[in-house]
Amino acid sequence: MTRILFSDKLDNCIAKWRSAGLTVIGPVQGESLSGYAAVEKAAGFEFGMVLPERPLKELFFPQTEPMLRYTIKKNEIDTTDFTAPQGKRIIFGARACDASGLAIDDPLFGWDYKDEYWFQRRNESVIVTIACTKADDFCMCTSLKLAPDSTKGSDVLLRPIDKNRGWLIEELTDRGREAFAIISDYLQESSEPAVPTVVVPEKFNLDACVTWLQNPENFDSKFWKEISMRCIGCASCTYLCPTCHCFDIQDEGDTYSGIRRKNWDSCSFALFTMHTSGHNPRSTQSARWRQRIMHKFNYFPGKFSVNSCSGCGRCSRQCPVDMGITETLQEISKL
Amino acid sequence: MSEPFEPKIVAFVCTYCTYAGADLAGTSRLKYAPNVRIVRLPCTGRISPMFILKALQKGADGVLISGCHPGDCHFTHGNYHARRRWMVFRALLDFTGISPERVKFSWISAAEGGKFADLINSVTEEIRNLGPFDQYQQLIKETESPATL
Amino acid sequence: MITQEKYRTTVKELLASGSVKMVIGYKPGSTPDRRRPLFIRTSEEADQLVLDSTCMTNLSGYLVTEGLLSDEKRVGIFLRPEGIRSINILAAEYQLNIEQIVILGFDSTGRDVRPLEGRNAGDFSGLLSEIKEKPVQTSKEPLLERIEKMNAQERFDFWQEEFSRCIKCYACRQACPMCYCRRCIVDSNQPQWINTSSHTLGNFEWNIVRAFHLSGRCVQCGNCDRACPVNIPLRLINQRMATEVLDGFDHFAGLSPTQEPVLASFKKDDTETFIL
Repeated sequence: MTRILFSDKLDNCIAKWRSAGLTVIGPVQGESLSGYAAVEKAAGFEFGMVLPERPLKELFFPQTEPMLRYTIKKNEIDTTDFTAPQGKRIIFGARACDASGLAIDDPLFGWDYKDEYWFQRRNESVIVTIACTKADDFCMCTSLKLAPDSTKGSDVLLRPIDKNRGWLIEELTDRGREAFAIISDYLQESSEPAVPTVVVPEKFNLDACVTWLQNPENFDSKFWKEISMRCIGCASCTYLCPTCHCFDIQDEGDTYSGIRRKNWDSCSFALFTMHTSGHNPRSTQSARWRQRIMHKFNYFPGKFSVNSCSGCGRCSRQCPVDMGITETLQEISKL
Repeated sequence: MSEPFEPKIVAFVCTYCTYAGADLAGTSRLKYAPNVRIVRLPCTGRISPMFILKALQKGADGVLISGCHPGDCHFTHGNYHARRRWMVFRALLDFTGISPERVKFSWISAAEGGKFADLINSVTEEIRNLGPFDQYQQLIKETESPATL
Repeated sequence: MITQEKYRTTVKELLASGSVKMVIGYKPGSTPDRRRPLFIRTSEEADQLVLDSTCMTNLSGYLVTEGLLSDEKRVGIFLRPEGIRSINILAAEYQLNIEQIVILGFDSTGRDVRPLEGRNAGDFSGLLSEIKEKPVQTSKEPLLERIEKMNAQERFDFWQEEFSRCIKCYACRQACPMCYCRRCIVDSNQPQWINTSSHTLGNFEWNIVRAFHLSGRCVQCGNCDRACPVNIPLRLINQRMATEVLDGFDHFAGLSPTQEPVLASFKKDDTETFIL
């Protein structure tokens, strides 16, 4: 016997969570773009899509965020810190790849310096993941040793039952149990089986790729130039990636007052590594693409023992010249 | 009682004609509205649309750009180039919903001190009637960064 | 299919005779409806060439890749009429030597692809003049009309909504054949003209500046529209600007490799009704 949340009770649950002070966020189809956004009614959700176009990471690591305000007077400098907005949230209907992405980035943001903006939002958010029953040509979580029903990064895992009538509940963490205790009145015991999760075919042999990447000889391989010849360096792969986490700190204002902001940045940009002298250690697009792949599958796991890719496939899905991690690793598998 | 709205206007002017015209207005003791901050540049051809955007970004309610009459440019044709640019830029502002009423262009020669004073008065009055540039100021507010004009 | 086969042979001939060192074309992508840019240097690579109505990307931006044309050898490239206009502009702006470009022109109506006659930029001047007189309708026209009917406040709200989604990835810039600046204005910070942050104000400024820089240079190839990961209808602004320079200065971007850039030239009798 497992507990079930029926979809027709979702409105009640949302109301209950909201009255308990939680912001309810989930997959939403906007007029021209889908993403995770706050809803007031269950009708606002769109569970039918494979995954939202915009990644979940932006709710934890927004594209731009104020850090401090400064004013400079004759003999003193005043600064006021900004903190991440307070407030508990429940992300209802995250995809497993998006949730895994958060867990992948946790060690990075908590490594030598604890990023308060990230962790405050992490600690105040309950991630309720819905296992996928649908995938497209670009999904590749299985190739990354994850799965459409991976529990990584999630507080609760829901498995859809037949005809979208509801979800079987698998509570994974205390935070998840607390959030579901709020709505326990609306849950029912049942022995109904879950719809099987979608089968995502494996696209490449990750271990073989990693071995190839770890071989120092391959750093200067001709392969990099060939594979990235058509890359235009647009960075949309990094900006839509659920795990890419690079940022830049910018001051806006003038000599006397202004604001310091944390903005997304990308290794795809030539400017990313440009030195003041004008020298650029990653002077070509192929060097930048190599960095992206190496970072995700060699350097990052070397430090944190986890690949910095959750297999959502957004990079390939969005790429204007039809590149992406899948193609690159498939080609590496063939070498 | 609340203060009446005083618009902030930034004027980008060329040094050879309009700035000299403004000087003439001053030495002739002509009175004109104090709402305009003048930025002097070598030529209207040097006035990049970036300047206009920057002024708005810093909280201006209106922008005035002024230079030599066609044919009078110190650099022979800087103002002809500028004229084309403005026409295109105006259309662009209009299309993106930034009212072109807030961005004014004029030709004022070194001899037209009176025209300068009159123009400043009329432009100030027009912008005052349009009210503060709320749309942009709302965007500025969202950035948490103060408008420093 | 016939066009594709014919062009495969042409490409092989061009490479075999040594008249080009490379041909830039298309090959199949990761799904049946996708195409990827292809760089053909050998006869085997030529066999991968695909040419059909889904080959939309304007490839001309690759021609200004650093070092590609510096050996003065010739390069072949598959281009739609808009692409031909792009390389005309690049030539007019001294970004490439038009003599080095061998054009393999094509166009499509519905699913049919047909070759365009000619190999050199000059061969297409008649065709481009025709397009100037009879512009091709695009699917976005109704939205453009809708925007033009709005009042200033509504238009501002419309673009505010659109630009608020912008994530400043600059995919539009990178995808655009006209954005070849070594250092883009947003990459310079002395002075910092545009807010680099991706708040709506910064996004507004970025998109206005890009549209201005493309005024009289955009050929409406649609690369920016397709590249935008947050689906902002960027082409509309550029389309509106193209109409502006056509009506105002009778300028149709990319008519010939020697055409004067519209904003770097002037006429003494240009209109100035808006100047006080």
